[in-house]
Amino acid sequence: MIQLSQITKRFPGIIANDAVDLTVRPGEIHALLGENGAGKSTLMQILYGFHAMDSGQILLDGQRVSITSPADAIALGIGMVHQDFMLVPTFTVAENTILGLREGTGAMLNLKRAASRIRELSEQHHLAVDPNAITGTLPVGVQQRVEILKLLYRDARVLILDEPTAVLTAPEKYRLFTVLRGLRAQGRSILIVTHKLHEIMELADRVTVMRDGRNVASVAVEDTSGPELARLMVGRDVNLSVSKLEVPPGPSILSVKRLSVRDHAGQRKLKDISLELHPHEILGIAGVDGNGQSELAQALLGLRTIEGGSILLNGRDITEARVAERRALGLAYVPADRRNVGSVADLSIADNAMLTQPRSNTRHSLFNKTLIRARAQTIITRFGVRGANDETHASKLSGGNLQKVILGREIMSAPKVLVVEQPTRGLDVGAIESIWAELLRERAKGTAILLVSAELEELLNLADRIAVMYEGRIVGVVDPASATAEQLGMMMAGTPLEPTGVSS
Amino acid sequence: MRLLVRRLTPNNSPAAIATTMLAAILAAMAIASLLFLDFGANPLSAYYALFHEPFGTLRGFGYAVVKATPLTLIALGTIVACRSGFTYLGFEGCFTLGAAASAWLALATAPGQWAASLSPLLFFPAAVLISFTVGALWSGLTGILRARFGGNEVLISLMSNYVAILIVKYLVAGPMRAPGSLPETDQLPHATWLAFIIPGTRGHAGVLIALAAAFLVWMLLRKLPLGFELIVSGLNPAAARYAGIDVARRTLLAAALSGGLGALAGLTEILGVQHRLMDGISGGVGFTGVIVALLAEMNPIAVLPTALIYGGMTVGADAMQRRAGIPSSITFILQSLIVLFVLASSMLRYYRFNFAALRSKKEAMQA
Repeated sequence: MIQLSQITKRFPGIIANDAVDLTVRPGEIHALLGENGAGKSTLMQILYGFHAMDSGQILLDGQRVSITSPADAIALGIGMVHQDFMLVPTFTVAENTILGLREGTGAMLNLKRAASRIRELSEQHHLAVDPNAITGTLPVGVQQRVEILKLLYRDARVLILDEPTAVLTAPEKYRLFTVLRGLRAQGRSILIVTHKLHEIMELADRVTVMRDGRNVASVAVEDTSGPELARLMVGRDVNLSVSKLEVPPGPSILSVKRLSVRDHAGQRKLKDISLELHPHEILGIAGVDGNGQSELAQALLGLRTIEGGSILLNGRDITEARVAERRALGLAYVPADRRNVGSVADLSIADNAMLTQPRSNTRHSLFNKTLIRARAQTIITRFGVRGANDETHASKLSGGNLQKVILGREIMSAPKVLVVEQPTRGLDVGAIESIWAELLRERAKGTAILLVSAELEELLNLADRIAVMYEGRIVGVVDPASATAEQLGMMMAGTPLEPTGVSS
Repeated sequence: MRLLVRRLTPNNSPAAIATTMLAAILAAMAIASLLFLDFGANPLSAYYALFHEPFGTLRGFGYAVVKATPLTLIALGTIVACRSGFTYLGFEGCFTLGAAASAWLALATAPGQWAASLSPLLFFPAAVLISFTVGALWSGLTGILRARFGGNEVLISLMSNYVAILIVKYLVAGPMRAPGSLPETDQLPHATWLAFIIPGTRGHAGVLIALAAAFLVWMLLRKLPLGFELIVSGLNPAAARYAGIDVARRTLLAAALSGGLGALAGLTEILGVQHRLMDGISGGVGFTGVIVALLAEMNPIAVLPTALIYGGMTVGADAMQRRAGIPSSITFILQSLIVLFVLASSMLRYYRFNFAALRSKKEAMQA
């Protein structure tokens, strides 16, 4: 149906796409897999008319077409759901759906007709959406449905989805997959840009792997395997099976007792959380996003007002201590939002590398540039930050490289307790591998690690114990050696396994 | 092959910045020269007059320095506030209150007053301290309203200008008024005047305060952890809090520092130029200083030449009006055009010349 042939695109200094071929058949879910910077996004932006290609051609049903703007793409039946949604938050679903369309003859919008057509479409495709809802008030998963509805409203035959599951919870993800399978059954083609291997294995029919701007393989999913795709994507063997050193945990270093926290709206987000954390230990915190895991991490760092309970670090009560004091006492934190909280986009790597302890980079209380650059350089070399020097702005780093800078910075402060939240969310396997290795190295050194993650695989691989959170409570603690993903899934859905607190 | 090629990131080298700025200024001058034609004046000789007076004569240069001094201080205040994420526009008020505070102290050293025995050596540090403090408290109020209650500092600071100006209007009309018809104070004692340090001109020692302030602000923002914390708070408050920076306190500090600098501008004007307090002393310098900071791209060192050129053009405009009869308002149009063009010129840094294309074209023509 759609055929990209010999697409080449150069940017100053790099070849983003080097003679890439890609064929998507009708009624097929085709995955485009690659590490960050492999050229997937560029290719999709060429197909959608955002970028002009330097050479190559696009064939639609065997006809050569020219796509110079998104309007051209839409007219040809090609639609795209961007990773960051392109919706006006204050508009209703119906208004967003017809935004940019000109239909009918009159100057007036016919919102009612649009609404009824949206209802029709949403029923037909099992995309439950209220056309009159204000878009900004809808959950992310529903907003994504609005984006898909927009494409169906325009009767797109080729749907491009850029990292569609990055923002979704597990149940939302499965609903999306059902919808996509339905669209496939109607003969539409779906192109999914992703770097999540298991999703490809589960959903896609065929997969194209890109590396360094080239198409390294296009294969049917049943003819390949996860490890093989990982190898194609990274260009070498990837080893995600970790071997942990058995170290007997020492006496507790962080002790949380009956901790309660409310959010800004007055909702109780943590209810009587108690846990103990020991040196040489990784305590995993599992749970569906929004069940208090983030609040727990933030409360430990002092970023949330604590309503009740206490936190003891190394025997010292830090319940009331400010963030800087807690950091000075040996707490470090890798937040889930690495772009907006863990780093400052407009500052260089060197500045970001000293973000959490600027005062330790001075001589005679003035900044010492040599010291600052040396620290940044150490992080870049030791943690393998690629394609960057100490003057590169954080905004120019890929998610994986930025995460290495942040994790490196926090580890370099030699913490006693390291709180890590979603350390590998959205990262490719190569980066995941190195982040995991760093966390295990810290564990071996004796750091106590609290690992908040939505990825069960990550928790089962790294954690010594896993505490499952549901609606602000710890509903159970399991041993990853004996726990299964199904068991954890049940607990995350609110079924308690054993009525115990987290104390060993 | 196109001659101009778009870059992915702007070229921010000093040479590129200087070139684009120069191009912007020349373009603005070319357009403004059309205005001169209407007065039958030759644009070239008009521009000569405009720049010869401030930068070709000693007397004019002295005036240019005098004009540049408060502009520099207010621009520095703008930089401290802006880099810390605090959009402060209350410099008219700080300027006026700073002027009033130093006038009050100066008048108190007149014979028979309570501070008559204050030695001149102590007077100037005391005046700087008192002016700075008054300005810092005034802008600090806006800072508290923002940091504590989440108020909009742009609105509050703009409105606070009127309050401050009216307070001083009241002072010179009432408690501080000298006997006489005009609402103004007595002339300040000569011992409290800032010394004229450029011989043969009105250039006074206030410029030293401005130079010192520029150095200190540069030190703060580039060399001190405190300045780094201010910048981080401004760029990304969430990241700042995460890093353990007390954002509210930093905001308050930035507000106070910038108001203090604005008040020092008032001090240099009252002790260096006017030598008495009167109504309407600021004359818009509290806003012009913000423009200077913008033109200098929020760089405390670049503020110095920018303020000098800007102040010099004001001086040149007066000379132009005297000599050639060309309204000085044309200069304000020119200044505004320069501001617009310079602000727009940063876009040019996204392009580069493709000299290879030019060469290949030439070769093609030769062949």
